[in-house]
Amino acid sequence: MIDRIGLVAVRELRAERRQPDGLVAAVTFIAVLVLLESLVVGPQIARDPDVASALFWLALAFATILATMRSFDRELEDDALEGLVALPGGRDALFGGKVLSLTIVLVLVAAIGGLLSLVLLDLPVALPLHLIAVVLLGVLALPPIVVVDVVLALRLRARAALVPILALPVLVPQLVAATRGASAALSGDAVGALSWAGLLFAFAVVYTVVGLTIVPAAIE
Amino acid sequence: MRTVQSSASLHDATVVLDDRVILRAVSVAVDPGLTLVRGPNGSGKTTLLRALAGLVPLARGDRRVAGDILYIGHRPMLLRGLTARENLEFFVRFRGGDTRGIDGALRAWGVGEDMDRPVERLSAGERRRAALARVETEQVPLLLLDEPFADLDDAGVSRLRQSIGRARDDGRAIVVATHAHPELDDLARTRIAVDNGAATAS
Repeated sequence: MIDRIGLVAVRELRAERRQPDGLVAAVTFIAVLVLLESLVVGPQIARDPDVASALFWLALAFATILATMRSFDRELEDDALEGLVALPGGRDALFGGKVLSLTIVLVLVAAIGGLLSLVLLDLPVALPLHLIAVVLLGVLALPPIVVVDVVLALRLRARAALVPILALPVLVPQLVAATRGASAALSGDAVGALSWAGLLFAFAVVYTVVGLTIVPAAIE
Repeated sequence: MRTVQSSASLHDATVVLDDRVILRAVSVAVDPGLTLVRGPNGSGKTTLLRALAGLVPLARGDRRVAGDILYIGHRPMLLRGLTARENLEFFVRFRGGDTRGIDGALRAWGVGEDMDRPVERLSAGERRRAALARVETEQVPLLLLDEPFADLDDAGVSRLRQSIGRARDDGRAIVVATHAHPELDDLARTRIAVDNGAATAS
């Protein structure tokens, strides 16, 4: 099964490399949001660690939804998703492969988007390694729940509206933990950053187990 | 009905989609050799194949399958962004098979020149040919092909006939659903007529 998950992930990443729509849309979205925020609330408020972190994670949550929906839209063209599901073990490998490939894409998005935020807002980072840990663990928790929601809404015309409505309430605890953790790392609170990072890891595990249980049945 | 030696069978299978009964208490068995499924548009041919492939839930009845299945539907089921060769490599590797025959199969299907182009840059006929090359690259005992003649020119139809004939001679079970094409009639061992969700084998 691990081999098959790896194959699905490699297939996704190859397609994303040739048609990087999800990656480009997600990075552009974060950059535009950060710029708009600093214009709207002014640079003083925008540079507050709590505000900057909250905006980054909200933008990343929406970017995850964009990238995941683009990934499944590609699968729906020419019924490629059905070709995968029809393979022995395809249903089980689909979730793991999608989550793995999207996590890799989102790590890239978070790295580029995070650097853009730091540069555009001229943010000082008190604990860079803690910030990296929070961002990595926060990113891990995003794709599992969004993939579940996209699969549940896959055949619905209104899925573009439905997926955020389904995903965001479930993501609230994760977004709160990620925002607090990033804010703690930016302002030099090492204990706080590590505590929130631990909680983010727990969310990632719980969301992944939920996804592994639900997705094969949801696909049927 | 034969169920003991069959490659696949449906027993009393009913499929309901969007509150509409698409298949009604269908019992069919598929044995090695070619089985042709015929019927008018909307009669339930595609759903019968999808039920055999396990791609639609049965509201009632049983599905039995011995071994792996290769299902190729109305559309080629190739992922855009990948080349024809990469798509076929993915399918073969997923089944744990040998990828060495892929280039030869794509060349035999006339996609040799274009096997390294992303599939979205191929014509519909080329995409169909690349998808049908899977019949040769994935050596599974049961093939389910839904309207495989779609988008094929005369040379493609001839190649499909040749490929199915070889699969039949290898002892594989092949089910082809088509509403019109008579090109495979002489190869068929069994015919299933589908009309308004009911199936009759002969």
